[in-house]
Amino acid sequence: MKCGMDPELAMFEQTVLDFASKELLDSRQENDRFPFGPLFTDVLAKARAVGFFSVTMPEELDGSEMGTTELCLLLESLSRVDASLAGVVFTDTLAKEIVYRARGFLRLKELTGKVSELGGSLFAFPSQSDPADCVGITAEPAAEGSYVLSGKADYVVLGGIADSAVLPVRTGDGFSFFTVDLAGAGIGIGEPVQSLGLHACPAVDITLDGASGLLVGDEGQGAEHLRRVEGRMNAACAAMSLGVMKGSFEEAVAYAKERQQGGREIVNWSEVRRMLARMAVKMKAADMIVAELCRSAEGNEPGWEMGSRVAALFAGEASVELTRDGIQVLGGNGYMEDYGQEKRFRDAGQIRSLMGLAPIRELKLMESYLAGEPLY
Amino acid sequence: MFSEDGNSEVLEREPRFDDITCSLRSVSKLPRGVFPETRQVIADARRFNDEVVRPRALELDRMKHEDPDYLPWDLVEEANRRGFYSMFIPKLFGGHGMNMPALSYMLEEIGSGCSAISNLVGVHYLGIATLCGSWNTRLMNKIMRDVAAGEKSGKPCLVSLAITEPGAGTDTEELELISRAKVTCHAEKVPGGYRVNGRKIFISNGHLSTWHITIAYSDLDNPAETTVMMAIKTDMDGFSFGRQEHKMGQKGCPASELIFEDCFVPDELVCFDAEQAARYARPMAKITMQVLDYVLSASRAGVGAFGTGVARGAYEEALRFARETEVEGKLLINHEWAQCVLAEMYKNVALARLSYIETNYANGMYGLFKVLNYKPIFYFMKYLPQSLVDAFLEPLVDLDFVTWLFRKIYFDWQKDAEYERTSGWASLSKFSATDAGERNSELALELMGGAGVRTDQVAEKHLRDSKLLQIYEGTNQLNRLNLFKCMIGRSAPEAKVFED
Ligand SMILES: Cc1cc2nc3c(=O)[nH]c(=O)nc-3n(C[C@H](O)[C@H](O)[C@H](O)COP(=O)(O)OP(=O)(O)OC[C@H]3O[C@@H](n4cnc5c(N)ncnc54)[C@H](O)[C@@H]3O)c2cc1C
Repeated sequence: MKCGMDPELAMFEQTVLDFASKELLDSRQENDRFPFGPLFTDVLAKARAVGFFSVTMPEELDGSEMGTTELCLLLESLSRVDASLAGVVFTDTLAKEIVYRARGFLRLKELTGKVSELGGSLFAFPSQSDPADCVGITAEPAAEGSYVLSGKADYVVLGGIADSAVLPVRTGDGFSFFTVDLAGAGIGIGEPVQSLGLHACPAVDITLDGASGLLVGDEGQGAEHLRRVEGRMNAACAAMSLGVMKGSFEEAVAYAKERQQGGREIVNWSEVRRMLARMAVKMKAADMIVAELCRSAEGNEPGWEMGSRVAALFAGEASVELTRDGIQVLGGNGYMEDYGQEKRFRDAGQIRSLMGLAPIRELKLMESYLAGEPLY
Repeated sequence: MFSEDGNSEVLEREPRFDDITCSLRSVSKLPRGVFPETRQVIADARRFNDEVVRPRALELDRMKHEDPDYLPWDLVEEANRRGFYSMFIPKLFGGHGMNMPALSYMLEEIGSGCSAISNLVGVHYLGIATLCGSWNTRLMNKIMRDVAAGEKSGKPCLVSLAITEPGAGTDTEELELISRAKVTCHAEKVPGGYRVNGRKIFISNGHLSTWHITIAYSDLDNPAETTVMMAIKTDMDGFSFGRQEHKMGQKGCPASELIFEDCFVPDELVCFDAEQAARYARPMAKITMQVLDYVLSASRAGVGAFGTGVARGAYEEALRFARETEVEGKLLINHEWAQCVLAEMYKNVALARLSYIETNYANGMYGLFKVLNYKPIFYFMKYLPQSLVDAFLEPLVDLDFVTWLFRKIYFDWQKDAEYERTSGWASLSKFSATDAGERNSELALELMGGAGVRTDQVAEKHLRDSKLLQIYEGTNQLNRLNLFKCMIGRSAPEAKVFED
């Protein structure tokens, strides 16, 4: 996002783009074959080394202390090349943010003494319609803060490769978050779940059979803990959609300038040019929205969180539409894995689902507005 | 009060009476026998869906993901065993002689389970339709009887259509564009036939087909007037397969590269070329477009049916999900907004279906099926035993006279307005129904949220599959332009198409 960007941020963006071009571009298609090809563990190791995990965590937790703008720039720039690694960063950040904002790491430290390793660790989180609808797991209190969990958690993103997972569990009238050690007793990790996009950011179904879980924050307060991180994570999600849009737009324009049909470059057929123009409008609008969102988030301006919900909804929908046309501009080639467009379309759909069911999020937005939260 | 004076003139205005009443005018002309046949075809397709398509669709998608070179021979053999590859071939040519429009219903049915498997059946008829569009009855008989023999022997004999080249996709679908196209597939006239060199890409069912109806050009600088349509067999010298494409969706149906290296095609395998066209009224370039239009008017209705199928599949998955999933304390199906989404999806399916049905009515009156739908011929062929067909009628199709007669009927006697009507409707159906398919797949994912992106929930496969439909058989942009040309531009003399 270019709007109002200072030179330091521009340099940061360039560094991430360089990393992505070097580490992700050439092997994008191969990495996307997972689970039918190997996972890009070498890339994950490098991402870990350069500090892409725990990006928003404070230094004492081994994090990079990034604000919303840097987080968005990081995810956008990675997604411009290949959104899978961005998906990994997003999931890890979401899980850790929930724990951190609920002051859960203090308790974690008390209980396990493991916090010093946090920066290098990877956290998993289930992507599902709404954590409030989680019904698969039961929790029985054991020792102080520790519970015994049983049941099944569906679609735990990074569940097959992460060290810990943050899982919502229904408790009483509400739900609570728990952290579980994925290498611990009573945890069964399923096969990678095949899905639409972000193949190199894989999910698994997990079974828990008397596994030990540590309560995050207060019991029954899951919705509140989630609410605290939603603003930032909605922005992150919008930034990923934006990155995918930019990648798709750039490839479509480059192709249309080269490909000839009817005796001219197809960019010179006005219907193709208009298709590109519509892509440009969506991309630029999302770009401005994310930039404005980051600005208002950094200033903690009243109402910025409402804006973040709008941004994620808008960019999610726009990115699916844009990448669909991004394929179309390339004709048959756009449908083939040899080009980046089909993957971007799939990734856009996957990213759109990350923050839950879009229509429900729309309804909740209206609910907040009707309850008095300012929208503009 | 009711005067007929001046009716013709007012009814000729846009939208023209003849354009908007294809179904109305067809109904009384249709043989009643079409109805039970269509019923049978849909029932067969549903059984195939229950027993084969739905249980196998995800597995096939996964296998192809795992091994991009996998070829689904077992499915093709199963479809062959059920008679699907000769079901719509006229009895005159050894097939079961079901009415052609019923194929569209079948493709919708199978497409609702898996559009890749629907393609495994449907694209074969694209090859057959192209062969028929040339009205070379001797060659039609030879190849379609090969298909029928393949059914009896259990060794499937499929037919593919090869037009697209690396440098020419959209260009090959339209006369105005082909004259500017960079085509490279060369058919050089040599004594006794043509020598073919070049490559074709993205050919559906290529690796699975025995015959490839191939379009090449004898003068690469003047393709519009030198089109050569040939039947090339997989085992011919100089023919080979290149790579199979790695596609986003429709993984079960291979898209193949075909390579021709000094491939000699004898005259008897030439379906159609400039020499043969010389006997008919229109100039070669016009006849070439007419042949293409006959084919595309039928095949685009078929793609409309694929689009309807995938729209329906996505709708069915969304409905299933809404019925069994609780959101915010109640079943999704009981949220008013979700009911409206489902209604929208239902509408998309219904309108898409109507579009291909109307196109088929147009085809029945003016297009590829017009002779077969003629009541006396329909009943004669239906009730004449196959043995008598083979003994008395089959020898006739080898006569040059019969080819000449069919071409007279189809090439010379078809009015421009008639092929504009079929072509326009076909394009309308193609882009409307395929847009509906893609749209419904997106709506299904929207409704299903996080669950929708899981492959085991099927909707995401429909989304991946549906996107192809907006690209092949002429991109939806090309089809919009063709609709403009056929139904709008004709009444606006100042309009120029492809001149931008
Ligand atoms: C999986 C698959 C299966 C296929 N099966 C077959 C088959 O069995 N047989 C066969 O012959 N072909 C087949 N095709 C090819 C298909 O018909 C072509 O892909 C299609 O015609 C588009 O051509 P193209 O891919 O070259 O795209 P291009 O023609 O390069 O088009 C690129 C973009 O430019 C636009 N465009 C091009 N020209 C114009 C113009 N004049 N005005 C406005 N917009 C324009 C297009 O709409 C598109 O958006 C298949 C393709 C695929 C992907």
